[in-house]
Amino acid sequence: MLKKRVIFTLLYADKEFMLSRNFRLQKVGNLKWLQKNYNFSQIAFSIDELIILDVSREKNNQDEFCEHVRSLTEMCFIPIGAGGGVRDVEYARKLLHAGADKIVINSLASTKPSSINDIASDFGQQSIVLSIDVKRSKNDYEVWTENGSKRHHYSLKKYLDVISDFHIGELYLNSIDNDGTGQGYDHQLLEHIPDGLTMPIILAGGAGKHEHLAEGLNNQKVDAVATAHLFNFVGDGLEKARHNLIQKGFNLATWDIKTAHLLHNTFTR
Amino acid sequence: MIKKSIAVVDYGMGNVWSVISAFKYLGVDAQLISDPKDLHNYKHIILPGVGSFGRGMLALRNSGLGDAILNVVENKDTKLLGICLGMHLLGTHGTEGGDSQGLGLIDNKVEKFTTSELGKNKIPHVGFNSVGFNEPKGLFKNMGKVSDFYFTHSYRMLNTNVQERFGECYYGINFLAAFEQGNICGTQFHPEKSQTNGLILLKNFLDL
Repeated sequence: MLKKRVIFTLLYADKEFMLSRNFRLQKVGNLKWLQKNYNFSQIAFSIDELIILDVSREKNNQDEFCEHVRSLTEMCFIPIGAGGGVRDVEYARKLLHAGADKIVINSLASTKPSSINDIASDFGQQSIVLSIDVKRSKNDYEVWTENGSKRHHYSLKKYLDVISDFHIGELYLNSIDNDGTGQGYDHQLLEHIPDGLTMPIILAGGAGKHEHLAEGLNNQKVDAVATAHLFNFVGDGLEKARHNLIQKGFNLATWDIKTAHLLHNTFTR
Repeated sequence: MIKKSIAVVDYGMGNVWSVISAFKYLGVDAQLISDPKDLHNYKHIILPGVGSFGRGMLALRNSGLGDAILNVVENKDTKLLGICLGMHLLGTHGTEGGDSQGLGLIDNKVEKFTTSELGKNKIPHVGFNSVGFNEPKGLFKNMGKVSDFYFTHSYRMLNTNVQERFGECYYGINFLAAFEQGNICGTQFHPEKSQTNGLILLKNFLDL
C-alpha cells in the first residue's frame, strides 16, 4: 500500500533560506548555515520528500537556484521537488538536470497552462506538482498567485474544477492565512476539493508541532503534509515527530535513521 | 580500505546525479561513463534511467554502451545493477514507446500495468511502498522480510522467471520490485531516493 508522506519545504530567495509568515519573508541563513546550524542532511533522514521553492520577490536567478538544488540533492536521499518561477519547459529541464525529481509550478497554471502540457509530455505528468496559495474570504477561499501578490478571479473550488483537466501529478495546497503561524493546518479548505478530483493532495501552511502533522495525515483527503517551519522542528524535532506518527500507526514509510549515520563514509573507514 | 570502482552508465536517460551522490555518501566515488571502451575497467556497473524503454534501448544501441554492457557482464565477477528504466532494459522485451527488444539479461518482459490489475490504484505508481523479500541475503542483506522503497513508474516486470533472490511489491498485482540473479541485479524502485533502505541496498551491491 502506498505510504502517506511528511514533506519539508525549504523556502529560498537570493541565496538565502527563509522563514515565511503569511508570506512575509524573514532571512534565516544560507546553505552552509543550514548545514552547520541545523545539520540539514540529518534532518532530511526524517522526511519522505523535500520541496525547495524559490520565492524570490525580485527576478529569480535560475542558475544560482539550480546550484542550490544540486547541493541539496547531494545531502538528501529522497525525492526532491523544486520550483518557483518556472515559466517554461526549459527551466523545468534545468531543474530536473540539477537533481530535482518533480517540478513545482504555481502562477504558470493561470498565465500559460499550455506550458504545463509541454512539461508533462517531456517528463511525465507525475513530475508536476501544482501549488495553490489560498486565502480565506467571507464564505469562501480565494486563490492567489505570484507569491501571494495577485488575486485570481476564481474561487478555490472553481479553480480546482478548471485545473482538474491539466496534466499534473499532485496538488500542494497552502494556506496564506496559516502560513508560518504554527497554529495548525486549515482543514476547511479541503472541503472545497471536488469529489471527482483524484490527484494526491499535499497540505501545507500552519504546522507547528507533530500533532498538527497527525491531524493533517488523519484527513482522508490528504496524502502528504508539508511544513516549511525550520524553527518549529529544530534539532531532533522532525525525528521525534516522525517517530510519534509511526507509533500512532500512521501509514508512513519506515527506515532506521541510526543505520544511515553508520553508513556514512562506510567505504573510507 | 577496500578500493571500489563503480561506473554509472551515462546514456542520456535521466538522473545520474542522485545515484552518484548516494555512493558519495557511502564514501565511494562513482564514475560517469559514456565511452563504451571504458566500461571494462569497472567491477560494479550501474545502469540508471528515467524515460521510455524504446528511447532507452535506442540510446544504448546508438552509443555502443548496450553491447559493451553485454560484453563485460560475461565476466561473472562484474556486477550490474539496473535501476528503474535500467532494470526494465535488462529484460527481453518492452512495450513503452513502441515494441523493442531489451538487453535480454533477464528472461522477463516489461509491460504497462493493466486496468484490471490497477483497480482503483492510479498510474504512475509514485511514492514509498513496501517490498517483501524471499531471502535477506546478498543484495537484500539486512533488509528484513519487508522494507519500504521509493517508486515512480507506470510499467512493471512480472516475476515469471526469477528463480534466485527477489523482492516483490503489491500494487493491484504483485510485480518484481528487485532481483539478484547471478551477477545481474535490478531494482524497480530508486535506492538512491529511498533513505536508509536504499543506502543499505547500494552498500550490499558493492559488497557482492
